[in-house]
Amino acid sequence: MTGSKWKASEEVVRRFQHVGRALLLHDIEDSHSGNIAMRWTGEDGEEKILITATGSQKGDLYPSDICLLSTSETDFGYYKASSETDIHARILALDGVGASVHAHTKDLVFVTFDDAPKPNQPAPFIPVDPLGYHVLEGQVPVDWVAVPSGSREMTETIPRRLADHRVTVIQGHGAFAKARTIEEALYRLCIANHAGYVVRLLLKIGADVEGLRAKIREAPAAHFAYPPPDYTVNDDAICEFPEEDELIREFRRAGARIFESRISPFHTGTLSVRGISSMLYAPKASMPREIGGPLRQVPLKPDGADDRELAMHKAMYAAGNFQTVAHCYVPEAETLAHFTHPGETEASDRVIAIDAEGSFLYPVIPVVPPGVELETLTGLLHDYKVVIVRGGGVWGVGHQSLSEVLHHPSSVREICQYRMAAFERGLDLRKLEPAKARRW
Amino acid sequence: MSSYRIPGYSGKILEVDLGREIVRARPLDPALAEDYLGGRGLATRLFVDAVDPACDPLGEGNVMVLATSPLVGMNAPTSCRGHVVFKSPLTGVIGSSNCGGTWANVFKAAGYDAIVIRGKARTPVMIDITPDRVELLPADSLWGLDVHETTDRLLEDGAGKRARVLCIGPAGEHLVRFAALMNDKNRAYGRSGPGAVWGSKNLKAIRVFGQEKTRVVDPERYQSGLDQARFLLRAVPTTKRLLNDMGTAGLVRLINVIDMLPHRNFQDNLHRQDRLDGASGEALRSRLLVRSGACMRCPLGCQRHTRVGDRTGEGPEYETLVLLGMNCDVYDLEAVTLANYQCNELGIDTMSCGGTLACAMELFERRYITEQDTEGLDLSFGNASVLEELVRRIAFRTGIGDQLAEGAARLAARYHHPEVAMTVKGLEIPAYDPRASYTQALGYMTSPTGACHLRGGYAVSLAFFGGAREIPRFSLLQSPIAIRNLQNIGILQDSLGVCRFTGYAYSAEPWSRMVSGATGLDFSTHRLEQTADRIAALERVFNLEAGVTRDDDTLPARFSDESIVVGGKERCVPKDVIERLRSDYYELQGWDSEGRPDRALLHKRKIERLRS
Repeated sequence: MTGSKWKASEEVVRRFQHVGRALLLHDIEDSHSGNIAMRWTGEDGEEKILITATGSQKGDLYPSDICLLSTSETDFGYYKASSETDIHARILALDGVGASVHAHTKDLVFVTFDDAPKPNQPAPFIPVDPLGYHVLEGQVPVDWVAVPSGSREMTETIPRRLADHRVTVIQGHGAFAKARTIEEALYRLCIANHAGYVVRLLLKIGADVEGLRAKIREAPAAHFAYPPPDYTVNDDAICEFPEEDELIREFRRAGARIFESRISPFHTGTLSVRGISSMLYAPKASMPREIGGPLRQVPLKPDGADDRELAMHKAMYAAGNFQTVAHCYVPEAETLAHFTHPGETEASDRVIAIDAEGSFLYPVIPVVPPGVELETLTGLLHDYKVVIVRGGGVWGVGHQSLSEVLHHPSSVREICQYRMAAFERGLDLRKLEPAKARRW
Repeated sequence: MSSYRIPGYSGKILEVDLGREIVRARPLDPALAEDYLGGRGLATRLFVDAVDPACDPLGEGNVMVLATSPLVGMNAPTSCRGHVVFKSPLTGVIGSSNCGGTWANVFKAAGYDAIVIRGKARTPVMIDITPDRVELLPADSLWGLDVHETTDRLLEDGAGKRARVLCIGPAGEHLVRFAALMNDKNRAYGRSGPGAVWGSKNLKAIRVFGQEKTRVVDPERYQSGLDQARFLLRAVPTTKRLLNDMGTAGLVRLINVIDMLPHRNFQDNLHRQDRLDGASGEALRSRLLVRSGACMRCPLGCQRHTRVGDRTGEGPEYETLVLLGMNCDVYDLEAVTLANYQCNELGIDTMSCGGTLACAMELFERRYITEQDTEGLDLSFGNASVLEELVRRIAFRTGIGDQLAEGAARLAARYHHPEVAMTVKGLEIPAYDPRASYTQALGYMTSPTGACHLRGGYAVSLAFFGGAREIPRFSLLQSPIAIRNLQNIGILQDSLGVCRFTGYAYSAEPWSRMVSGATGLDFSTHRLEQTADRIAALERVFNLEAGVTRDDDTLPARFSDESIVVGGKERCVPKDVIERLRSDYYELQGWDSEGRPDRALLHKRKIERLRS
């Protein structure tokens, strides 16, 4: 064991630090929980494992908190490394896996508890939100283990689960994700937690979650809009319009706000600014400042190779004088899109703000089904600036700036929070809503 | 109350042929109301239908249309404004000017949506409008009176104080190319020289009296927009406080902060802070302000009623203060205020006046004109003592005033130095240096009336005060769309009869609900956008027919060749940037490389007219 073995490259250290910080900011870790691991090939060509040290603060990692392990021998790093190193090592041995991350993902843990006698096999977690459903491929396994921390049982169970799934949960402990990179693992964990959060909120507003799951099982296409684009790796530093320094700053600023304010999970959602024949496009809108995300310049003209998300941006620009478009997966909005007023049978077709600012800025926020026609959606965006697509995220448009279009999903989140809080208190939402808003 | 089929409109157009002494009312075509709203849109359409674009702006062939909107007469914030459209004697392109005060509101209450004025009276006349009759009356006794005297004289009889007067002063009578129309004595349809058009027609004034109410057909929808508008106006600092506390002059120090405040005919943007402080909105408030005031139904209250010694009047506004002041290197607040009073009384646009004086001062500084040309007046930059005298000479076209009355472009050309004229299409540039914002630069370039921040898009409102809507100032990609959208919202405000300053707080959404509630028609924001596109295209068509070419959509060379420091960086608008911005803007509008909309686009915009 030589000293040089301890020294990962500065770039790798930065990536660990940034992912650790993002885990903390997204509130899916406590100060010392979780671990981050990846395969890494050193200068000597030998493949190794990098993993965070046990007890390290993931939100504020020192270089010395990142341990370098041989994949084939035990060394000093092993004894400083995470107590769950063996689990990660076996996950990293799976085909195509370059990274694994564990986080406590509290919201997912909340909704996967059960009070059945132990031992038992808990039911898998079925996401009811579009991101969770698509990215987690319909379900997340949940397992109970007698010793839910660094145990042999976990070392056997988790890699086995992850051989077939992207994320798995140990009941009462947290989630593990496999991925190609640590950023992609972060993406999956954030989406898993987001999926748990949506279910948690639905339970709070009295929604029939199991009924919803049954319907999703019957006809998933009827419940979700198109899936998000495939996650791309190793492209977060790309910027295809370096001359537009003011706009780059605005993209980074808006992206950081979307992430930090939990308007959309890490590297989800999209943002764009229209030019004359091209548009500037952030396909991973929710971007922590340190990690960033690609900033593309793409032709405005539709291209058969465009993914559905990009095609939507282009179609919206073709339909109006919009300058900016945003699409975010706001968990509170997805939740309220399923809200049925007491005594009514159908989910509401609108969210009506009950707070002062929301009710003036956004008197009515339409809620439309996932299969809404583009023409209908753009028509509503002209009149209301922001629209909630049930099972499809929140779309917003602006006539001037990225900041303007960021404000829409951000406000929607707050508007929904006020409504949910009022409902939790047992207040009559109908009495709080301006009567006229129900007829617009 | 009008029984016209579309609520919100009076349903009548008043046609006045001064040469043939014919006055008649005709019904408003409902299709025009639906497609052009009112104000600027309706006036533009009526004007384009009535005029030969090749006409002499000061000949009897020119036509002037003044229109109100469906919101005028209601309680929507700032909904009191009228709009005039004409061929400008200053620029030779479309003239389009907007004004608050009370006149337009009372005109609508007399039962009309617009007035179309043609021909030329043989002798000075005025038009007297009441709900019962419209008369052409001799105005020989008014000719020569200033704006205040004319207004007072006309209110002495007739309907007395309940009537309202729109008139010209001596500047209009003497065909000063930037003469204004004035109502409520001090409120101006200022830009592009509408006063000269009246002067050329021997039309001195229109007195109007009316009391007809305008009804709202869908009160709930209307009220929802109104509630939202009122809330936002109270929430945004600019509309909540700044404009009322300091008037528009409160912008002086703020615009200087963003390095956009022009100096010495746009030769630089460098101001000594102590001099600037002495001529700022704060100084105006502490030294000269008697009280603030407001146009009808305006909660903002940006009017400044001021006193200098024993003289009282209104102003100065920001543009006046900077263009007659700092841009002439004058920081004497009292001198600028007195010159402003004089402009109001004589009926002169203070902006073009200031731009022309700054041009003259640079010509003088460079010795292109001398004291021989000025009858001994010292036109040096910073000489505040000549301002009032120059304004008077302009109004009466005496001495050097006769040359100044032609505007900066003609003045500079006369002395063979056109590069000294800071104009676009012949219109003097407002008090925001375009080198500090590509977006504003493009707005000046593409404004249908020439360099105008109001018709060309008020980019500054977003560059500094935009809040969530704040736009980058130097984005080549974003500037064309940002300015087109700003131009469009300006078209809508002008066509709805509301003030540009509401744009600090909100865009089209509240107006959409208010105008839909007022008319019962579904004016969605998308439909309003399409309406704005249509009006913009029609203005462009007129300008093309009047002879505008791509080369006119540009900036003076100074802004490309001479840099200023903005945010610590040397900034100008290089020629290749001008080229790209212009080309992109044309493409965005659907125009060809020469800036011409094709027939298919015009058909889409429902404009079946384009002479080749």
